[in-house]
Amino acid sequence: MRLLPRRASLSIGGWCVTTAISARNLRKTYPGQPPVHALGGIDLDILDNEFFTLLGPSGCGKTTILRLIAGFEHPTSGTLEMFGTSLLDAPPHKRQINTVFQNYALFPHMTVAQNIGFGLEMLGRPRAEINAAVEEMMALVQMTQMADRQTSQISGGQQQRVALARALAPKPKVLLLDEPLSALDFKLRKAMQLELKRLQTETGITFIFVTHDQEEALTMSDRIAVMSDGAIRQIGGPRDIYDHPSDRFVADFIGDTNFLSAETVSADGTTIRLSSGKEITVSGAPVQGKVSLAVRPEYARLTTEEAGLLSGTLGEVVYFGTDTHFHVALDDGTAFVLRQQNGPDVTVAFATGDRVGVHFPPATAQVLRD
Amino acid sequence: MSDLSQVLERKATRRRWLLLTPALVILVFAASGPLLITLVYSFLTPGDYGGVVWTFSGEAWFNVVFQRDIFDETLGWSDAHLSIFWRSIKLSLMTTLACLIFGFPTAYFIATRPKKQRDFWMLLIIIPFWTNLLIRTFAVLELIRNEGTINTILLGIGVIDEPIQMLFTEFSIILGMFYVYLPLMVLPVYASLERLDFNLVEAGYDLYATRLRVLRRVILPLVKPGVIAGSILVFVPSLGAYVTPRVMGGGNQLMIGNLIELQFGQGRNWPLGAALSITLLAIVMVALLAYVRAAGNEEVRHG
Repeated sequence: MRLLPRRASLSIGGWCVTTAISARNLRKTYPGQPPVHALGGIDLDILDNEFFTLLGPSGCGKTTILRLIAGFEHPTSGTLEMFGTSLLDAPPHKRQINTVFQNYALFPHMTVAQNIGFGLEMLGRPRAEINAAVEEMMALVQMTQMADRQTSQISGGQQQRVALARALAPKPKVLLLDEPLSALDFKLRKAMQLELKRLQTETGITFIFVTHDQEEALTMSDRIAVMSDGAIRQIGGPRDIYDHPSDRFVADFIGDTNFLSAETVSADGTTIRLSSGKEITVSGAPVQGKVSLAVRPEYARLTTEEAGLLSGTLGEVVYFGTDTHFHVALDDGTAFVLRQQNGPDVTVAFATGDRVGVHFPPATAQVLRD
Repeated sequence: MSDLSQVLERKATRRRWLLLTPALVILVFAASGPLLITLVYSFLTPGDYGGVVWTFSGEAWFNVVFQRDIFDETLGWSDAHLSIFWRSIKLSLMTTLACLIFGFPTAYFIATRPKKQRDFWMLLIIIPFWTNLLIRTFAVLELIRNEGTINTILLGIGVIDEPIQMLFTEFSIILGMFYVYLPLMVLPVYASLERLDFNLVEAGYDLYATRLRVLRRVILPLVKPGVIAGSILVFVPSLGAYVTPRVMGGGNQLMIGNLIELQFGQGRNWPLGAALSITLLAIVMVALLAYVRAAGNEEVRHG
């Protein structure tokens, strides 16, 4: 796994980073009683050649951003630029942006090849060039044998590939993907995630990917914007977002998290007293008073009552194949879940009902404002 | 086991036929029966005061397209009949075209309204259906006659010096039929458009198609079944229209329907009327076959 997002390393090397899409104070309000604020003033910079993901629960405004960039809808206020040129006056067919729709939206009255060639045909390219591009695209998504099939005669995964090829064929500057994998089954989705990442690297096109699946976002993206209620909560690389969530919402939405209530005791806020009375030193943002501490289940481990930072009673032990989950009821009443990787050498020393201790490296705990 | 399934299958078949029976009875006695009588009558000799004499004669069929000169018995085309056939087909085609041009945008407008509003707009389209055909036709007549609303207003504001002759022209017949049959176009086209996935329209725009090209390359091919159904629903009754050409054409712009009525009425030539009726039926069938085949070919070519 890459430790730093690709762009960050490039800028360290002194590269000039180009911004593909830039939004300032972007707002979208739908009229009604009461009016719906889909987007409440978003600032966003998406870099050229980047795999950027908008992640959030349904109704958080991520699809609205996509539709604004595609041009299907107009912002209520704010600016939206692509490579420094305002997009606001350009209708969808004048924007060098293509979309992979959630339900693929393949033209049912055309063959696979006709679908893929549609964009170039509308751009008025010569026949020979269209045919060559269609060939190339079909090879890229491994659909060459299906060229003359009707779109109703191919499977969901194949439709997905065709939709992708159709959107890539005109070589757009930016490709928008609106939850394109949500209709696929688990195995296919896994395969397509890698495929998408490969396509993005090969074509060098900026991908803007919308999803509510945090795992999908973490595996594919260079950078992720976590959204809720029409606002961006945090932007960063996958590791950044996972290990250093900026607030409780992000910590809760990305992966599984245990929340502990604690209190800062030192003036600089780096020393924190847990509910068990033990004190730890953390590196997170210093906040005075009552705070929440986020601890990932896989960073904590079970130990004896005396050795742990926290103590409690072991409840259920759930076997998951690759790992085992331990549910601990802490003495202050909070539930705490630990995850332990299974392996040939791993033994479980505790049984349900035992008094146990919970330990975690203090540096992995994230201090959040309450 | 197989016996049981056979019995059940037979039972299901019997039940299906039972369900069909009322429709079959009506079809046999109310459609095929009269058609058969019409066919038989067309091969008989006209009676002196209407009705038929039971003597076989091909005269009626001969008279559909030919005529003998009154004085020297020379054979010639029946210009009167042929021009009426031509006018009927021409006016029906133009009515269909007008209904399509005006009906399609209307249907598109309704289909793109929020779901709750669509019923209201559809109601507005259907309301004229609640009124008698004759009354609707006279309403149009009131609008366009020389002393009618349009001419009065135009004269009043001084745009024209004398009334424009709109009534008793081919234009007035088309206008009348257009008004009467427009809902028959809007309804099936709307039904197709409502089922259309508007994501496809967005996909079209997204792939650099202009509005016109999205209409031509994406929307029209997908709602073609509705357009075909609407065109047939308008064209067929237009071709056999009787009331509208009678009222709006004023008796000098005959269409097939009027010609047939004439033979059964003042003309007292029932066999000719019957032969003309069958001819109308044949024209409709040929037109439908040609249209459906042309539409089908288009589909194959588009893939």
